[in-house]
Amino acid sequence: MDKAMRVREICDSFRELCSVPYNESLQSYKNDGGLIIGVLYNQVPEEILTAAGILPVRIRAVGSQGTEASDARFTQVNCSLVKHFYDSAAKGRFDFIDGLVATNGCDHVRKLHENWTSVLKPAYSHLLCFPKRQGDDLQVTQLAKEIKKLKESIEAHFGVEITDEALREAIKLHNRTRELQCALYELRKGENPPITGAQMLAVMMAGTCMPREAYNAQLEELVALCQDVEGISDYKVRVVVYGGEIDSIDFFEAIESQGALIVADSLGGYGKRSADMQISLEGDLYTNLANAYLMERPAEPRLHGTRAARWEYLEKVAEEANADGFIQVFIPICDLWGYERVMFATEVEKKDLNCLVLDTEYIFTASGQTRTRVQAFVESITEGGR
Amino acid sequence: MAKAPERLYQYAEVFKGGMAMTAEPAEAVGGIPKIMHENFRLALKHVNRLIETVENDEPLVSEWYGNTCEIYAAMDLTHFCPVDLIIPTRPFFDSIDRMHEDDTPADSCALIRLAVWGARAGIIPVPTVVTGMLEPCDAQSLMHEAWETVPGWENIPTISLDPPYGYGDEDIQYFADQLKREIDFLEEHTGHKMDWDELRRICEETNKINSYWDDVNHCLMQKPCPFHSLQAAEWGWTQALHVNWPGDPEVTEFFKLMAETAADMVEKGIGAVENEQVRILWADLNGSWAEAELGPWLEETYGAVMVNSFAGRTPYSVIDTSTPESMLFGLARKGINEVPMIRQARGTVDTFLQDVKDMCRDYQIDCVFFPNHKGHKDQGGNIGYLRELCREMEMPLLTFSSDIFDPTFLPIDELKRIIATFFEAQGWKPLK
Repeated sequence: MDKAMRVREICDSFRELCSVPYNESLQSYKNDGGLIIGVLYNQVPEEILTAAGILPVRIRAVGSQGTEASDARFTQVNCSLVKHFYDSAAKGRFDFIDGLVATNGCDHVRKLHENWTSVLKPAYSHLLCFPKRQGDDLQVTQLAKEIKKLKESIEAHFGVEITDEALREAIKLHNRTRELQCALYELRKGENPPITGAQMLAVMMAGTCMPREAYNAQLEELVALCQDVEGISDYKVRVVVYGGEIDSIDFFEAIESQGALIVADSLGGYGKRSADMQISLEGDLYTNLANAYLMERPAEPRLHGTRAARWEYLEKVAEEANADGFIQVFIPICDLWGYERVMFATEVEKKDLNCLVLDTEYIFTASGQTRTRVQAFVESITEGGR
Repeated sequence: MAKAPERLYQYAEVFKGGMAMTAEPAEAVGGIPKIMHENFRLALKHVNRLIETVENDEPLVSEWYGNTCEIYAAMDLTHFCPVDLIIPTRPFFDSIDRMHEDDTPADSCALIRLAVWGARAGIIPVPTVVTGMLEPCDAQSLMHEAWETVPGWENIPTISLDPPYGYGDEDIQYFADQLKREIDFLEEHTGHKMDWDELRRICEETNKINSYWDDVNHCLMQKPCPFHSLQAAEWGWTQALHVNWPGDPEVTEFFKLMAETAADMVEKGIGAVENEQVRILWADLNGSWAEAELGPWLEETYGAVMVNSFAGRTPYSVIDTSTPESMLFGLARKGINEVPMIRQARGTVDTFLQDVKDMCRDYQIDCVFFPNHKGHKDQGGNIGYLRELCREMEMPLLTFSSDIFDPTFLPIDELKRIIATFFEAQGWKPLK
């Protein structure tokens, strides 16, 4: 099989895994007696779960058909993401998980966790309280304490012991994942990126819904293959996508269908930001986890005091990827990303950049509208517009 | 001499006008008009202090009430919350219309939108330092960051305090430790020093205020309610937490006046509404229109009184003034566990539910209005719990979606129709 075909095959298999909440890989893992914990948000230090011998799986309501079950628990002021998540949970689409861990990352998600826990009663549930700001020793110490509470809670409920040695191994495993993901991002900076933005999103999401060792092995092969493939050349402009918890491959495909190749991103949930850190193995591992998740990982709006750093990171990513423009995406009724859009606009205006802002509901349906807007954006760049 | 933003001088005129309107009856009959008069006078005092500080180029602190303003007062620092004067003076200006023209997110809270618009529009004085509080909502955090992009606000030294999620002593101590850092920060950037003896005196005044406020609430619990819809909540919330200088004995006197007036009316069996029929709990902050634009209609049409709201909830513990540490601990507890909105929004749903439950019982409530404020995303996720609680208490519940700081989101006439239908369903008929 030629290398390009093998690259496609791996990307397709990752995409397949991301197409349903309970995929074949997870079914097989469960059939072998494995435990799975559903994780809400990328702020949860999943290394703790891995060290406990439990597979962390990021909750996604992929394929959700409605939000009827959420109507009794949420109102018009809540975003579509939590409504689809809760609806899927209420309809049993996440019944395969053995527990749930979330953070107070935003007002919607903390209430999602609370309703899910009290109404749907998962066998195990824990809320890790994450500081709302990047800061100083007080915040790092506070988060380290919270991570230890998570560890103790897991140990007590599942009857396991999380030793420092097991945690060290888990950190190594996750560090390796991040290292490989970053290597793939690096390869996409070239003139002819080996995979599309939509494929990259599938790669990133697959890492959150399958056993990590198997994922790393496939990722390793993918990175090696991507060094030798011809790459993509039939695009019109190179763009960077900026946003939060975006997990729709269809959405990315709609963007790229108009010749806007996504060559890089600053996405939190399943993007480069989640890969751009390495956790130290020296000293106290809990402090290291707290430090990495709070202070070292490229921040997003839910972490106060990081506005300038967020923008610097985005500019750096765009410059390294030789991007022609930005596409900012957000889910409506999100104060965090709503105000990020406002501040983003200020920077865009100041620097006269090419930028398109797209909003999408959690379940992406506005394909035609998105294509039209991206088409116009691409034309504005290629035909000498802004 | 520097010039303060024109809007500050206009606020002063608004409050002078309020004083003039209430001056004569205040002298003649005392009671509610006198409280209103004093409320205007203290608001004017606050504005004049702000103007004087700006004109004299003295340090000015932007704050949020959860940061516990006693600290600023003890450091002799003039402080203000950038939205505090925009909200109560809304009927006199076109702030809401101008806010709508701005590019702030339409699905976010008008309070936050006004704060960002106000800085951009230059109606808010530029502070020397910003002390932020990252509760009660997500937008609160972003509001502070948005200010950093406003010309003239770019490089203002800022400290924002991280509220914990829990309620225990360990959580309070985490916040108290941050208050200590806030004091260091203020000393460094303003040159003013903390006077711990003054903080002790101020905390003692705060304890007195909270005690009087609690007395007022005990009067509101009686039938008929001595004050009009949401009046006491508005006065208390304003003077204790917003337009205020903690430790000012005149503010303590104001609360004493409220308590004595309410007690006198209760003793005489006089209600603010002649024919009180329905007692309502407004389960959120008053916002900027419920008291003046909805209250009178409810009272005149149905004899219905919005007896209290979360803004008037007084769960305050006595601040232990024996040591600096005990004062900071008490202030931290107040800042994260006790003051309205932060109290109900932070952490789990339990406090929100307990407040509704206790207030329904204590205030002899007949029904609950839940305004589902679009800024309170957390409370949107409380709706299922609230319905369950009200069913359990057999308490009629009316929910509608609104922006409690923007009367254009849910027009008042539309809300009146919603309420009329709800009252009809309960068998509560108009008085006439």
